[in-house]
Amino acid sequence: MDMKRAYYEDVRFFSSGAVVFWFAALIIALGIYPFVFKNYYVYVANYVAINIMVVVGLNLLVGYTGQISLGHAGFFAVGAYGTIALMTQAHFPFLAALISAGFIAAILGFLLGLPALRLEGPYLAIATLGFGVTITQIIGKIDLLGGRQGLHAPDLIVLGRHLNTDREFYFLVVPITVLLVLFARNLTKTKVGRAFVAIRDAEIAAETIGVNLVMYKTLAFAISAFYAGVAGGLYAFVLRFIDPELFGLFMSIMFLTMAVVGGLGSVMGPVAGAMLLSWLDLELRNILSVPYLGQWLRQLSEQYFSLTGVSNIQFIVFGGILIFIMIFEPLGLYGFWIRTKKYWKTWPF
Amino acid sequence: MKKTLLAALIGMTVMFGFNAAGYCEVGVTDTEIHIGQWGPQTGPAAAWGAVARGTDAYFKWINANGGIHGRKLVHHFFDDAYNPAKTKAGVKQLQEQTGIFAWVSGVGTAPGLAVKEYLLERKIPWVGPSSGSRHWVDPPEKTIFNVYPLYLGDAQILTEYAITKLGKKKIAIVYQNDDYGRQGLEGAEFVMKEKGMALVASVPAAVTDTDMKPHVMKLKQSEADAVLLFVTPGGVARLIGTGKAMQFEPQWLSTTTCGDFPLMMAITKGLYKGVISASFGMGQPTGNIGELQSSDAPALDLLATYKEEVYDKYASKDERWGYTFSTGIGLSEPLVEALKRCGRDLTREKLVQELEGLKDFKGLMGRITYAPFDPEDPMCRIGQNEIYLQECMDGGQSKILTDWQETEYIPSGE
Repeated sequence: MDMKRAYYEDVRFFSSGAVVFWFAALIIALGIYPFVFKNYYVYVANYVAINIMVVVGLNLLVGYTGQISLGHAGFFAVGAYGTIALMTQAHFPFLAALISAGFIAAILGFLLGLPALRLEGPYLAIATLGFGVTITQIIGKIDLLGGRQGLHAPDLIVLGRHLNTDREFYFLVVPITVLLVLFARNLTKTKVGRAFVAIRDAEIAAETIGVNLVMYKTLAFAISAFYAGVAGGLYAFVLRFIDPELFGLFMSIMFLTMAVVGGLGSVMGPVAGAMLLSWLDLELRNILSVPYLGQWLRQLSEQYFSLTGVSNIQFIVFGGILIFIMIFEPLGLYGFWIRTKKYWKTWPF
Repeated sequence: MKKTLLAALIGMTVMFGFNAAGYCEVGVTDTEIHIGQWGPQTGPAAAWGAVARGTDAYFKWINANGGIHGRKLVHHFFDDAYNPAKTKAGVKQLQEQTGIFAWVSGVGTAPGLAVKEYLLERKIPWVGPSSGSRHWVDPPEKTIFNVYPLYLGDAQILTEYAITKLGKKKIAIVYQNDDYGRQGLEGAEFVMKEKGMALVASVPAAVTDTDMKPHVMKLKQSEADAVLLFVTPGGVARLIGTGKAMQFEPQWLSTTTCGDFPLMMAITKGLYKGVISASFGMGQPTGNIGELQSSDAPALDLLATYKEEVYDKYASKDERWGYTFSTGIGLSEPLVEALKRCGRDLTREKLVQELEGLKDFKGLMGRITYAPFDPEDPMCRIGQNEIYLQECMDGGQSKILTDWQETEYIPSGE
């Protein structure tokens, strides 16, 4: 809908003045959010922000480069363990540990990217799945990393300040998230991003026009893993205790679902997907206390299933929402956004 | 149309996240006491969901009998699917939006550790974390009251019994490589050292191990005649089954987590007969008590009362009357007792004081004793440190082998 007259309009970071305005408004809103809402919602925001990081990173790989990963919980775990271990064993300050852990994850991502050069589609899915499952087994065997007994996070000190509350932590997590999202957006507008898209659309064509497949595919894996690693490092401090069981297959699937529901091949889509699904994931447990609806679900469960299993209803609802979104909006939330934008375009006239 | 939509959107955003509260003590009103609890109703540990449902039925029964000093217990329990991030979210939401006076039980070590600091910072009492982890008592904390006996004790009593009563010389252990299994290993080694002996084999097992042949092979090579099992009920079933197939049948000894005999008989297809297991009370909740050798062993009368008045009346009809359900009752008894002792003017400080005053309190489980807070002494918060042993008989009945046995606390790293 936005007509572009020159190439440089397409690569511009902000496509129009309105976007700059809304971006500034968003930053201000994010700044006052923790003062307006209760502590619980700040915690939820932190949790959501961490998922956003992973999913935006995952989308660079899945949505832009066309490579699938079912092993992102593994990179997430590497980031979490790496950050804590570097802080407690090697006495790194937090930010240094976080970034280093991100790079460790990136190196593993690079290594996983190598077999990906020869694998495609379901075969790649299985290879990455194998990585995700194996890495937690390995961590569980290393006593230095607490084995199966888990690790406690040390005190969180950033630039000389103790971060104890959710609000303080918010001002660490959210800026990092904004930075990483902006970086992803910028990346998609550069040569690298274009190379990713070229690989996704037609590998052979991309190679003939001079895109180095080996370099860009492994780079996509490495960058994506870096995002997951950094997010994992922050997640360790949300929970303050981690053990290998946390980073299961289900987590990887959730990340991928968030990316797909949000809309592959865009930056804001996965942000929306991560927001919606992590919020549902946390809030659907309360569905049975919603007036009327909860009562009805209970009765339904008692009549046709079992009352002790009534909590499983939340997963049925969750699955139902996913199916609904994919049927009516195959492009995910991003597709919905584009349609909404068209609808409002002429407003207020 | 568009304007209405916009207005509705703004309205919803503004409404989101505001509500009022204002009592002198959080979670206590003239007519209500709000108690919180988390417990997996879905996910990998859903079998433990009955703990929270047991507590729920127990509270309903108390309310039906007049409540506590004119106040009803309002039980808020939520499903965390054994995911610590969800535990944390649920605890924060209930604490900040509803206002919870105290927390009870709460299944799992990782979920509990995720919220431990949060509850401690706010000085909110938490009674009976539902896992035998040392994290709850070492170091002891002013507002955390342990009820569930530590796994260390299981190992001590089982090892002691195997050596002195059964005359076994070659003791081995299979342990899960986590908090639970490690405690078992430490407890067993502690007793062996006292006797001047050593374990003939200690075989680590992963939760995910499905093939138990290598483990049984190692045990067989060690010629062990008694083997302690510090693994999950599924792991126990696989080990005993594989042992039988490989003609290795020592005396198996298992922990409180495998003390639900009817269930264990079902999953081992009858091979569980003759296995000796530790128990923290409640006999067999199914009422299948075989030969009672010690009259004061499990609290059978109380158990029968709970069966008729709590389970029959308040549990949903597909609930199983079993070990987990009654554990939910047992873990919350000390809290209820202390609330009763507090009288009408209820504060958290007073609750902690009354809990500290509990001495030899006897409910479904072993005797429970706390003491005034001493940061150096885990015993002031450990609560219950007694267990007894029982043997699995035909049809999942149990034969009580010992009276309540007191266990010793071993600090970590020794």
